[in-house]
Amino acid sequence: MSTKENENVENIQSSDPLGTDSVEAPKYSCALGGAYGTALGVYGLVPLLHAGLGCGMGQLLGQFYAGGHNAGGPVGGTSTPTTGLVEEHVIFGGEDKLRKLIEASTEVMEGNAFAVISGCIPALIGDDVEAVIREFEDEVPIININAPGFNGNSYEGYELFFEAVIDQILISLPKEKGVVNILGVVPYQHIFWKGELAAIKKILGKIGLKANIIFTEFDGIEKLKELPAAEYTLVLSTWNGHRAAKKLEEKFGVPFITFPSVPTGPKQTSKFLRTVGEKLNVPDNLVEKVIKEEERRTYRFIEYSGDILLIARPHSYFAVVADSNSAINITNFMVNELGYLPDIIELTDNPPEEYRENIIKALTEDLEITSLPEIIFEPDSYEARENLRGRSFLFLFASSLELYSASELGAPDVGVPHITVAFPSYNRVILDNSYAGYGGGLRLIEDFTSHFAGPL
Amino acid sequence: MTPDEFTNKFDPDHKIDLDKNTCPNREQRAQGTNIYYGKVSELIKDAKEGKIKCYDRKLQQSSGCVLNFYLTVRVATIRDAAIIYHGPLGCSSPSLGYRELFRAVPTALGRQEDFELNWITTNLQQEDVVYGASEKLKNAIFKAQKRYDPKAIFILTTCTSGVIGEDIEGAVAEVQPEVKAKIVPVHCEGSRSRLVQTGYDAFWHGVLKYLVREPKEKQEDLVNVASMLSYTWQDRMEIKRLLGKVGLRVNFIPEFSKVEELEQLSEAAVTAPLCPTYTDYLSRGLKQEYGVPYFLYPSPMGIKNTDEWLRQIGKYTGKEEEIEELIKEEHKTWVPRMEAVRQELLNFKGNGKQVEVLGALGQGRLLSQLPYFKELGLKSSAALTQDFDNLILEDLENMVEETGDFDILVNTFQAAEQGHITRRRDPDIALTCPFQGGAYKREKSVTRLHALRGDPDPWSLQSGYAGAIAYGEFLIQSLKNESFGKTIKAKTADSYKDWWYEQSDPLYYLDKETSSK
Repeated sequence: MSTKENENVENIQSSDPLGTDSVEAPKYSCALGGAYGTALGVYGLVPLLHAGLGCGMGQLLGQFYAGGHNAGGPVGGTSTPTTGLVEEHVIFGGEDKLRKLIEASTEVMEGNAFAVISGCIPALIGDDVEAVIREFEDEVPIININAPGFNGNSYEGYELFFEAVIDQILISLPKEKGVVNILGVVPYQHIFWKGELAAIKKILGKIGLKANIIFTEFDGIEKLKELPAAEYTLVLSTWNGHRAAKKLEEKFGVPFITFPSVPTGPKQTSKFLRTVGEKLNVPDNLVEKVIKEEERRTYRFIEYSGDILLIARPHSYFAVVADSNSAINITNFMVNELGYLPDIIELTDNPPEEYRENIIKALTEDLEITSLPEIIFEPDSYEARENLRGRSFLFLFASSLELYSASELGAPDVGVPHITVAFPSYNRVILDNSYAGYGGGLRLIEDFTSHFAGPL
Repeated sequence: MTPDEFTNKFDPDHKIDLDKNTCPNREQRAQGTNIYYGKVSELIKDAKEGKIKCYDRKLQQSSGCVLNFYLTVRVATIRDAAIIYHGPLGCSSPSLGYRELFRAVPTALGRQEDFELNWITTNLQQEDVVYGASEKLKNAIFKAQKRYDPKAIFILTTCTSGVIGEDIEGAVAEVQPEVKAKIVPVHCEGSRSRLVQTGYDAFWHGVLKYLVREPKEKQEDLVNVASMLSYTWQDRMEIKRLLGKVGLRVNFIPEFSKVEELEQLSEAAVTAPLCPTYTDYLSRGLKQEYGVPYFLYPSPMGIKNTDEWLRQIGKYTGKEEEIEELIKEEHKTWVPRMEAVRQELLNFKGNGKQVEVLGALGQGRLLSQLPYFKELGLKSSAALTQDFDNLILEDLENMVEETGDFDILVNTFQAAEQGHITRRRDPDIALTCPFQGGAYKREKSVTRLHALRGDPDPWSLQSGYAGAIAYGEFLIQSLKNESFGKTIKAKTADSYKDWWYEQSDPLYYLDKETSSK
């Protein structure tokens, strides 16, 4: 479908291609927020913020609550130790404060390892954080993550976290057959991160692979240390986790395979399993057996939704305002499995320029339709709202920032449902839910049809 | 010390200097601290003797800054303004809830139908930090004007804009002639002060300096009420209901207000408190600049406090008689219900002992909440407060005469300390200030102190007469099922090692070597 691709590439737009301009309500926080959220995903790791007094609480409100309304947990939010730098530290330096904080935190807090995450102030005043951490090298494992907010957004913080881990605590290990690392799912930014990782681990387990999902595993530090032992790294994103995966390859010879996103529903999941199975030499018959069983059950269940889908709102237009990962799997599922029509897709995660062509490809190449949606890279929430005006979509898959835009800007008088599927998600609490895997498709159907279902 | 000396030293009616770019910090303005543990009588004595200091903690936990405790969450709800955060992305991420906060309030409860809320971050990058960012700020101002056509543009500063020495006033002076909206710089960089309350003052300084107008004409029926995040939509409705009955109108600012409502602050008959420490700078500024009288105590919390709050308003609006009528009328409905709540609480334990509460409060709330607890028949032999400064010293002294002495832990959301004192004192009800870390993991009742959002649910009401009863009933219910905290305590790991709870000092990590003054 070459015409489809060409037309599409010309369609790429953005109000701010570099994503560095001033912007209304961008749908991510800063590098510190991302590194902090990623650290909190590793159970047993205690983050220490070498930063201003409010950086931790700011991220509680603007990263963790925003990421599916999650509380800080045992070491996040107001439980997170921080140097809390103020004016005199700006003048005299914050190193002494950091030293004391490390002493006290390691003394009183339960944890297997610590991560010092430095924000804007230490970077601006030139604190030698590494030297302070070195003083403790014989006592306790401490990862040093330099993540000033002005160096990038939450997605950048995720990469910085892994780069620090790979450089500072990993050592070569013998390869373990059948073990795969999972990267590309960013805690809190991908609001279904916990459920997605669990679903991926489970489905890979069915074809005999052991997935190292790192996050939410209770031996999180061990899981980090096992990264070099994997046969492959599976990167479930067109751009997140790529730097980390490349570094793992360069340093420890772990090759990586990239996927468009976490797979949603049977078609994407079966394709995922076949690709993984082939690369990792899983016997074909095992892969096909699993696919057959899973598909049979899933499609039998999808049949239960047949009447509400076909009678209430069949083949209508939908719009998406979400990060690339979520936009790719939701759009493909809605189009290829349920017969819906994409109207406009707004990608909100501000991916670097060099990844954008691949993102468009991943989003569109498998779509089983002839006319493509408008696709826009739009980090600015004002522009994203304006782009929704005067369109025909009857569902909006978006962040909670668009909660009221669906009915205000969508087709008039029909009550356009809004389904929160992306960051920020204040109106949707997400503990274990996700749209990953075979069952994930069923849950997506449950979620959006429940907005318009009623007596027929 | 003579009473005069005392007044001069400890309760100065500071001249607010609007020629300056910003307010003084609470540390300097009112000898504030965020760390103290002892009897409240000792705190009062130490404060009078100037012995209160603001020490560092070796174990500090993240607790909010001048910008990021209050301002980022609420300033962006001013309905026809635009906010510009001059900083990196992360400083403004708490504002991501701006479109949802008040939108969930049904219009049937008086929420305006049409409104847009707007904010922008200048999204500072590495190169901006190196080469300066005033062009970026100016462009953001133009962008805000063009996009939103707002009545005012607030510029909120951050640590980064502060450390790199951005000349905010210079940039504003340059572009203001080309911009229709009034530009209001607010100097609220997190690194300027350890006390989050400095943020309130910094915000009001901007409002007073740039927005409040010379009164066109006095509005004798208008009462200024600065409503902050811990007061719900229902609280507003109750306050409006009460004052409406005597023909008074409420000028609720700044949350979910219009810029016009900030401009007209000078025309009101009186400025009344919900939270005195929040309202302090504004109240004093309006008095000094425009002669608007104010009072700071009490807040309308509990029956007695509400009576007194109304009487104060009656005094300044010439409505003394109507207010007395109102109080009499309201008492008929509410006093019997209050008595029923009180009796239920008094008899709850069935052994003649009172229910003990431990509340984590702002210093402003402390003043009214403790007498209200007493009214409810609850015992509070200790309280936590976010911070303490001399602005409340006299009122605190008066309050202690009524409530008796108690232990006080001054502690800005310090989770380990809050967990420590809650575990060791083991009150019947622990009232969390939000974000209290692991202190909710306990065998006995745990519930919220306040609802913290534009909550439209009658269940969340706390102010006025209706609120006095509603919150009492709310507390009773909290005693009826304690399984959440109990289960979580049994089934999840604790954040701290056992020795933390075994030693006796919540301020174990106070760092005596450091003192900011």
